[in-house]
Amino acid sequence: MNKRFTDIWGWPILLAVLTTLGLLSALLGVGIWHWLAWASLAVPIIVIWHYWLRPKR
Amino acid sequence: MSIRKWYLVHKWTSLACTAFLLMLCITGLPLIFHEEIEHLSGVVEAPPMPEDTPYASLDKVAEAAHKQRPGDVIRFMFWEQDEHPHVTLVSMAESMDAPPDAGKIVLIDSRTAQILDEPPPDRGFMYVMFKLHVDMFAGLPGMLFLGFMGLLFAVAIVSGIVLYHPFMRRLDFGTIRREKQARLKWLDIHNLLGVATLVWALVVGLTGTINTLSQIVIFIWQSDQMAEMTAPYKDLPVPTTFGSLQASIDTAKLAIPDMHVSFVAFPGSMFSSQHHYTVFMKGNTPVTSRLLKPALVDAQTTELTDAREMPWYVKTLLLSQPLHFGDYGGLPLKVIWALLDLVTIVVLGSGLYLWIKRRKQTEKRLTELEQHHAARA
Repeated sequence: MNKRFTDIWGWPILLAVLTTLGLLSALLGVGIWHWLAWASLAVPIIVIWHYWLRPKR
Repeated sequence: MSIRKWYLVHKWTSLACTAFLLMLCITGLPLIFHEEIEHLSGVVEAPPMPEDTPYASLDKVAEAAHKQRPGDVIRFMFWEQDEHPHVTLVSMAESMDAPPDAGKIVLIDSRTAQILDEPPPDRGFMYVMFKLHVDMFAGLPGMLFLGFMGLLFAVAIVSGIVLYHPFMRRLDFGTIRREKQARLKWLDIHNLLGVATLVWALVVGLTGTINTLSQIVIFIWQSDQMAEMTAPYKDLPVPTTFGSLQASIDTAKLAIPDMHVSFVAFPGSMFSSQHHYTVFMKGNTPVTSRLLKPALVDAQTTELTDAREMPWYVKTLLLSQPLHFGDYGGLPLKVIWALLDLVTIVVLGSGLYLWIKRRKQTEKRLTELEQHHAARA
């Protein structure tokens, strides 16, 4: 079955937006902005871990 | 463009840059943590003194440096308040135009003008990693070559994004077909890891390419803005005696009061003219601390000649540096940088594996996709 555009690109676009946000927020601010950067840049890594490395039951 | 053409673009740009990109990812990994690694190997620090101890005149600091290395010239002085509090780092060399590698650093206590250390030039592991990463010991041509590899990497990423769509038409996001052939498993891993990290990889790749142009950018700045600012001095004889360094820096501080001194380029050195101390000022926020602002101070009269914002191309270079190094968000950002670097190594390695493993299989799948496309059209 073929998928719609959003089925294929939903996650990649979300991860791209979060990465961009993370890269910029640490550059433009300190304190809370650094936390925001760490959190949003960690999301792609967590997603990769979830689908690839997480032990399967 | 057809899927097949995009596939060919992806294949050839990747093949051309993969070996170098793997080298860059591996040598880049320790470089992310260079500050921490250098601290492990022991850095001389200024001894504790009361917080309000006044700083010595920089003329005294310069005098101490000249006593330490008689016959050498001072090319730069710089300060890294976070890493080396109360220390003035003096960069000396046999002559102003000696190669950058030939410089010696002397660490001087900013309060007492006492010599703290004169570390031997680093020729160890980190130096080798750094040189491989920057120019593969091949100077400017090596640097520009790696810049070109960065461009190819960007094209490989963009073509990879285009190919992601047809390859994922029947799969849920994150599907890894583990039970089938190893090739399918690694194709799925390649697609997942590649698409999840694409913005980071593009940013680090392209800012890396911009960094390889640094020498050219500095050269353009010198012949453009710097030449404009120092035009009245063009035909004057090269001065042999200089005014006070401390007075020159005070002049710069007065001219740009809301910033503090990052480094000073001495007359005749790479970032200055024959007639000026160029005092580079930096701000306090993550962005303004990168966007240096130069103040040119007449080295004989210690009066201000000019202070201007850097042109856009220097600003682009200066902002590309943190985005490439990942050194602008504390240790957690460095750890994230390292993890994403490791992910990129897997993307590169799996791509190479997929190419070697089953070229025929890919042919078959492409024909299928083409037929599918034709049937829909």
